[in-house]
Amino acid sequence: MNRYLARLAILALGAVGLSACSSLGAGEYGYSSYALVRVHRVNVGDQSLSVVPPRPWNRHRSFLWSDVRDVEDWTLNGPYLDGISFVSGLKSGAYLIRQSKRADQQVPKFRSDMTPPEIVAMLETLYRVKGGAVDFRTLSLQPRPFLGTNGFQLDYEHLDSDELWRRGRAVGAVINGQLYLILYDAARSHYYAAALPDFESIVGSAQLRR
Amino acid sequence: MRTWGLALALSACLPTSACVQTRQFADVQFTPPQGDYRLLVLRPDVSVGSLTTGGMVEPRADWTDQARANIIAALQAQQGQRGGKLQILERRNQLTGASEQEVADFERLFYAVGNSIVIHKYSGDYLPTKRGKGLEYTLGEDAVRLGQKTGYDYALFLHAEDSVASGGRIALGVLGLAGCIVGFCAPNIGGASQLDYAGLVDLKTGEVVWFNVVQAGSQVPGIAFGDLRTPAGATQMVDRLLNRMKPGLAVRRAAEKS
Amino acid sequence: MCGRCAALSRRSLLVGGGVAAASFGTGLAQARILPQEMVPLVGAGFKPTDKDEQGIWQLMDRAEEEISGSNLLIQDPQLTGYLRDLIGHVGGPAAKDFRIYLAHIPDFNAMMFPTGFAVVFSGLLLRMRNEAQLAGVIAHESGHFLRRHMIRSWRDQRRKTDIFSIAAMAAGVGGAAGGVYLGDYVQLAQLGTILSLFQYSRTMEAEADAMGAKLIAQAGYAPIEMANIWQQLIGEEDASARYRRKRRRRGSLFDTHPSSQSRMIDLRADAADVTEPGRAYETGRERYLSKIAGIRPTLLDDQVKLNDPGATQYLIETLAQDGWNGLLRFYEGEVWRLRNRNGDDVRAGQSYAAAVAYPDAPADAWRWHGITLMKAGRTAEAKTALTRYLTMKPDASDAAWVRQTIG
Repeated sequence: MNRYLARLAILALGAVGLSACSSLGAGEYGYSSYALVRVHRVNVGDQSLSVVPPRPWNRHRSFLWSDVRDVEDWTLNGPYLDGISFVSGLKSGAYLIRQSKRADQQVPKFRSDMTPPEIVAMLETLYRVKGGAVDFRTLSLQPRPFLGTNGFQLDYEHLDSDELWRRGRAVGAVINGQLYLILYDAARSHYYAAALPDFESIVGSAQLRR
Repeated sequence: MRTWGLALALSACLPTSACVQTRQFADVQFTPPQGDYRLLVLRPDVSVGSLTTGGMVEPRADWTDQARANIIAALQAQQGQRGGKLQILERRNQLTGASEQEVADFERLFYAVGNSIVIHKYSGDYLPTKRGKGLEYTLGEDAVRLGQKTGYDYALFLHAEDSVASGGRIALGVLGLAGCIVGFCAPNIGGASQLDYAGLVDLKTGEVVWFNVVQAGSQVPGIAFGDLRTPAGATQMVDRLLNRMKPGLAVRRAAEKS
Repeated sequence: MCGRCAALSRRSLLVGGGVAAASFGTGLAQARILPQEMVPLVGAGFKPTDKDEQGIWQLMDRAEEEISGSNLLIQDPQLTGYLRDLIGHVGGPAAKDFRIYLAHIPDFNAMMFPTGFAVVFSGLLLRMRNEAQLAGVIAHESGHFLRRHMIRSWRDQRRKTDIFSIAAMAAGVGGAAGGVYLGDYVQLAQLGTILSLFQYSRTMEAEADAMGAKLIAQAGYAPIEMANIWQQLIGEEDASARYRRKRRRRGSLFDTHPSSQSRMIDLRADAADVTEPGRAYETGRERYLSKIAGIRPTLLDDQVKLNDPGATQYLIETLAQDGWNGLLRFYEGEVWRLRNRNGDDVRAGQSYAAAVAYPDAPADAWRWHGITLMKAGRTAEAKTALTRYLTMKPDASDAAWVRQTIG
């Protein structure tokens, strides 16, 4: 309850900070929902996974409506253009995002006995139901070692309601029944290729914390 | 329920007095275009409507036509002073060398980039990695290719949205949150209000080299403010947006030293 | 995950919160509008003379430019040609000049703009069982056009808001209320405004229903099919709500649309009114099924991936009334697999096994059949199934993973 109130307070402060002379005022001061990630090893998500970015990135601070603890989002240019999401230690029976149990359309929960095609299907539904994707195409699904075990690499593309095509790559594995996934998604025009090396470097640096 | 939550949230950002703001962000190396450059202005997104008493914005075709004509004339005059050739694209299929689809994709990418600029540079949700660095956004290789195929050096995106209080509104003189609830927002409702933005893309590099948002609002209905329906008002808006292009930080510092 | 999810939800854009014209809302019953009283208020070549209407038309032109250039359209010429013929047939006096666009969006919706173009969502094609039903929806939309509902609605709303009634304004926000605030610096903000104009009153919806029934009967379609649309829709909503253990929203005094139930009842009476004794009416079922056969796998795919098990199951079972086949059994399996409750993997496995027994089973059915067998420890059979999958789709996107699994 206290955590909830604390977040509400932060949110209220943020809203007040934006007022000034209508919405132009704030500029680059005050409170932002992004924090800096420096170039050294950091823990992500539920802290059981650590990575090193090759250059500074921006980490999205979770708020009331987006805090699945095991998921963390980073961006370089803003979420409309690019982003890396980390899923660490998602347990069997958990969801990738918060959703109402009574919503008509839902993202399926993760189960520890999921094969890679089933995980892909879960991600696809996430994009269609929550991400506004109208079209989703799997470009390839192949085996790839990850975190010292047999994982998979998914390459995909999707068309969103803002008429922009975006491309993505996800590398993941199920370890001790929990899902570990690093997912990179960016506008297909320029942005995907621009930060793909960053993604590969981050995946290469990923380690499980004991 | 959601509209009330939205209304409450937006109530936090009512203006406190008549204020005109224009904030520019420029790439640090930006020098405003001079000399013999070719400028493409994409589908100026202009609309002028009447703010009804109840606060709805009623689109007025005649006003919009007037405003668009005025803006185009003001653009041509202003660019004529600075030198350079200008084409204003009304429809996507009017650009020689590029298909409708390419123009559409270009616009959509700019929309995503422009939105990001407004959110992360203007609205306060800044990205720490970009803080204090001018404008670091690009449209990439596709923009460069478009420039090569069509022979333009710069592309200007322009969005001008105005609403003018109708007679009823002036009589009522009430401030409300109207407009914000109807799916698009006239953020400074009161009398006239304006939200205009412009973004300049250097087609040799694909980078967004300059971006400006103008927001003007008069708290008191009945005080006209750069009314786009008049040539003077349009010139004023174009002037605020484009004529005051400030060079980028590095260029200014170099100029100071010399 | 998905930092921009809220902003880009499909529902906030083209759908306009689902409150656009052919919407299935709720409301209390009122006196029925008689089809014979419905006459077109516009003819061919209509152009507005009032300033407010001209303003709206200008927005419409811009909207049409956006829509016609949209990446979200299905451009299959066979389908679009079919739709164009249909609208020319039942769209009323001006319909030969109408444009019709098919959007790749899995919702049941269609909308008509007063400048003479219509947008139909692909979800509609999945739910219509014959040509008469599809014609009925198109005719209903044309009814809004022919009775000039948009400008009337606009003026109504304007009047209401001029009286400064907050409640009226809140009710009249249409698309924005159903969707998400997009911000004034969005190019498609105009479209958001436009969609917010599609908040037709109960009377107008009833008028469009009556007009629609009349138009399709004149064209030779069985008018009772329009009532059947609502019956099917009620069934779907019930199934969806029942699955989520909710009740389907029923009417209230403040709703602006007639309820699905009352529309169905009124349309049955309308059908009786417009039926000429002795005239033969058709449903056009065979023709319709053959026209959409090509796109049907895509439609099912889109629908299943929304993971709304109640609704999808209902739709599949409805389609299966014409007979089960490999495609339908496969998608039945997909519903279970995505639903993912305890025991659903077993159910899905049974459906996949049933699907592959049919000659028309899609390649993906073999893949999922194989994976099910693998998880059940039936390795040899799994390998056979997965090999069959690769034979059917040698350049499948997941071929690399499948090959490694087969070993």
